[in-house]
Amino acid sequence: MEFLHDGIPKFSRKAVWNKPKLSEPAIEACDNYNEQLKAILSSYNIASKEWVIRQYDHEVQGSSVIKPLTGVVNDGPSDAAVIQPKFESQQGVAIACGMNPRYGDIDPYRMAISGIDEAIRNLICVGARFDRIALLDNFCWGNCDKPQTLGSLVRAAEACRDGALGFGAPFISGKDSLHNEFEAEDGTVISIPPTLLISAMSLVDDVEKCVTMDLKQSGNILFVVGLTKNELGGSHYYKINGAVGANAPEVDIEKSSETARRMSQAIADGLVVSCHDCSEGGLAVALAEMAFAGGLGIEADLKGVPRTDDCTGTNRILFSESNSRYIVEVEPGNFDRFAKTMLNMPFGQIGVVSSSGKVVVKDTDGKAVIDEQTDELKKAWQKTFNW
Amino acid sequence: MGQVRAIVLRAAGINCDMETEYALRLCGAEARRVHVNRLIENKSLLDEYQILVVPGGFSYGDDVAAGRILANQMVHHLAEPLRKFVDDGKLVLGICNGFQVLVKTGLLPGGEFQNKVTLTDNDSGKFEDRWVHLEAMSGKCVFIGQGEKIYLPVAHAEGKVQVADNDVLEQLKSADQIAFRYVDSSGGQAEYPYNPNGSVEGISGLIDSTGRVMGLMPHPERYIRPTQHPHWSRLSKRSEGDGRKIFANAVEYVRKNLLTPSGK
Repeated sequence: MEFLHDGIPKFSRKAVWNKPKLSEPAIEACDNYNEQLKAILSSYNIASKEWVIRQYDHEVQGSSVIKPLTGVVNDGPSDAAVIQPKFESQQGVAIACGMNPRYGDIDPYRMAISGIDEAIRNLICVGARFDRIALLDNFCWGNCDKPQTLGSLVRAAEACRDGALGFGAPFISGKDSLHNEFEAEDGTVISIPPTLLISAMSLVDDVEKCVTMDLKQSGNILFVVGLTKNELGGSHYYKINGAVGANAPEVDIEKSSETARRMSQAIADGLVVSCHDCSEGGLAVALAEMAFAGGLGIEADLKGVPRTDDCTGTNRILFSESNSRYIVEVEPGNFDRFAKTMLNMPFGQIGVVSSSGKVVVKDTDGKAVIDEQTDELKKAWQKTFNW
Repeated sequence: MGQVRAIVLRAAGINCDMETEYALRLCGAEARRVHVNRLIENKSLLDEYQILVVPGGFSYGDDVAAGRILANQMVHHLAEPLRKFVDDGKLVLGICNGFQVLVKTGLLPGGEFQNKVTLTDNDSGKFEDRWVHLEAMSGKCVFIGQGEKIYLPVAHAEGKVQVADNDVLEQLKSADQIAFRYVDSSGGQAEYPYNPNGSVEGISGLIDSTGRVMGLMPHPERYIRPTQHPHWSRLSKRSEGDGRKIFANAVEYVRKNLLTPSGK
């Protein structure tokens, strides 16, 4: 009778999460970061996925407005895809993802909240509405009968709760795949890293106002919007230097929401000609991707990057993976209107689009720390999966 | 003047029928999607139309071979009405899977080419979705003018035009039945990926001897609006899609040749 009246008895399981003892590595500064940038561009999670993207029909029914690949020769990495499902309506649907399993090695909470922030800013980059976002969670975890594994799942779920409530973005569906663990004959246990993929979607009011990430025109101004912090834990810069670190990126949901709203407004007002989110590989990777997607160059310096006081050192500013940041290309004539839209937000001019065919980034003292042909950066990004 | 009417064939697995219908409507035709089984039940249905389009997709899951089953349905149940349709001076267009169907029915290239031309696996051995440059080659194709260059997407795994031998290729050329060839971005001979499948001499579309039956691997119905271009966001002048021409020319041809009072 208890079963009939009170339903299925609930499981009670033990979940434990102990913060791992990690520290920040000491990595020596370099005079030039060309090689490190190319190594990061070639890493699996950043490198071009064109090989697989071209093997599925990503324009079936003729509805795609922003395709997964974009730019002057259709091979740059779009932040999000946009489809126009109804022929007679200018409205569209934007779809994006956010995921970074490396942060999970430090704290699954930060991995999850970073995934949510990344998926949302990817939507914002193409011109989607901030107030109509829906999320999906896709969990891949090890054996959750183990208290440690379940504990990390709880940490991630708490971040999903905070993200959904904080951003006003409900989880409308999801998928989980648990018990991804294998025991070999000799007793070795192989468990996948706890991994959360966040998918996000939102409405686009007018698909013709959508923006892509490829640089459009030399002479245009480049801005960074959002604060760069000392957050390289789990970063790709640490990865290529053999480190994990401790400072995985956090999210200030209130500030991130305000940044997203302002960005969304700037794009709706037609003030933005290209926009790209800063994520894996940080500022340096985002700039490189925008340059080679547009077949153009960049002249930038790090003086204008808004950052926290503890984010010192060229390598930190170049490769920090702080959330809630955007790189924006604005025509000189729209400088004032864009600046007005961003009033009282952390944002700064970092340079201009050039026709030099090179990406040149100077440190805060004016010394070039990245100085590489755009084509070479693109080659590094494409070679990994060029099968 | 009467109304130009187009029929868009449907069958299990066809998934490009809606946008094909939309493209035809935009170009002034009254278009309807009709399942092949309705047509087999009522063969006189074809009499009401002047344009037949076999759209893209994976008809019957591409079982046996791409387009084979739908082609067999047409050969075994619709041969007579289809022959009459073409003999009446009407237009047939096959897009992607529809092109594969028309080749497997023998409608393309037609005549003495039966079983001498086919579409087979891409050289790359995989499905390819990418945009290609095309040059219209034929002087008698009613769907597009000779020498016109257009930009369209392909999305297929079996799009390589293969001929039995060199004589067949020469005959196709001398009969002016090559509708399109792939070219590179400056209009020259196309190597992979400009030629996405390894088609002999970059052949991407064929017509029959009348110039009124055409099949092509690229998807004109997927480039009707400016925002379907893969990098429209960086183009200052947003022209309407290149694919429109093919549908607009078909509609115009019917108006001029089949619907004017002096016509039939």
